[in-house]
Amino acid sequence: MNVQFKKGVLDLCVLALTAWEDRYGYELAVSMSAKFEVAVGSVYPLLSRLTQEGYFSTYLRESSEGPPRKYYKLTPQGHTHLMELIREWRSFSIAVDEIIKEGVER
Amino acid sequence: MIRNQYLQQLWELLSPVPERLRREWMYDYEEHFRMAAEHGRSEAEAAHELGDPRLIAKELLLTYRVDQAENSRSGGSITLVSRAVLAAVSLGFFNLIFVLGPYVALLGVLVALWSAAIGVGVSSLMAVYEGMFGGGVTMTQGIFIAMVLLGAGMLLGAGTHWLTKAFMKMTLAYLKFNSRVIRVNKK
Repeated sequence: MNVQFKKGVLDLCVLALTAWEDRYGYELAVSMSAKFEVAVGSVYPLLSRLTQEGYFSTYLRESSEGPPRKYYKLTPQGHTHLMELIREWRSFSIAVDEIIKEGVER
Repeated sequence: MIRNQYLQQLWELLSPVPERLRREWMYDYEEHFRMAAEHGRSEAEAAHELGDPRLIAKELLLTYRVDQAENSRSGGSITLVSRAVLAAVSLGFFNLIFVLGPYVALLGVLVALWSAAIGVGVSSLMAVYEGMFGGGVTMTQGIFIAMVLLGAGMLLGAGTHWLTKAFMKMTLAYLKFNSRVIRVNKK
């Protein structure tokens, strides 16, 4: 997928992954990287930015193996932002689909 | 060895960031090496996955600078916003042309407006002087002209102040959404 495409939706996707459960950085980095072929290393700065913007809060939780892990939790503000992004995405993707139907698949 | 070197380098690159935040950010990368090891990957592989620490540091510094400029008491002072712009420029050639160029040009326009406002305001002194000592206008006329000029200068100043603030806000919003660099996995 085109890099410019990805840029716009990465925030949405990483916020969406944490909608129902808090996740730790590695988990998010690996699943994002597997789905979108973005470098694992560019997911962590993304998480830091979203935290800085108030959409995530972080905390450390003990894990069964090894030192505590850093979890990312969606804040109420993050939740509102996520809903907004989803709304935008839906109307965008509907519009693109309509254009494709009209222009290509008639 | 590779792990320590990597983390050490990143730590040093992030030196402008206050220690508390820096530690919090570093935790992600420390954890990444740890988790990679748990999944049976070597330190070299983990470091390769993360990519160049300099790029990571640049991304994080941009986040830090934008946040700093946004949350400063003055609401985005020119110095802080300019730092954020420079942090974005360090991310790539595109930003040099399409961010720094327009930013500097518009700053120039703002400087011109500011000096015009100050110039008009200061010229009211001339009117008073002319009223008192010159022959062109009477004292009353001089004071009247001075008041008009002062008012115009203040209006222009207020307008430019608003414009400057709006411009700083816009710049930060742009930096937040459009100057990011997403690195793609190299196959």
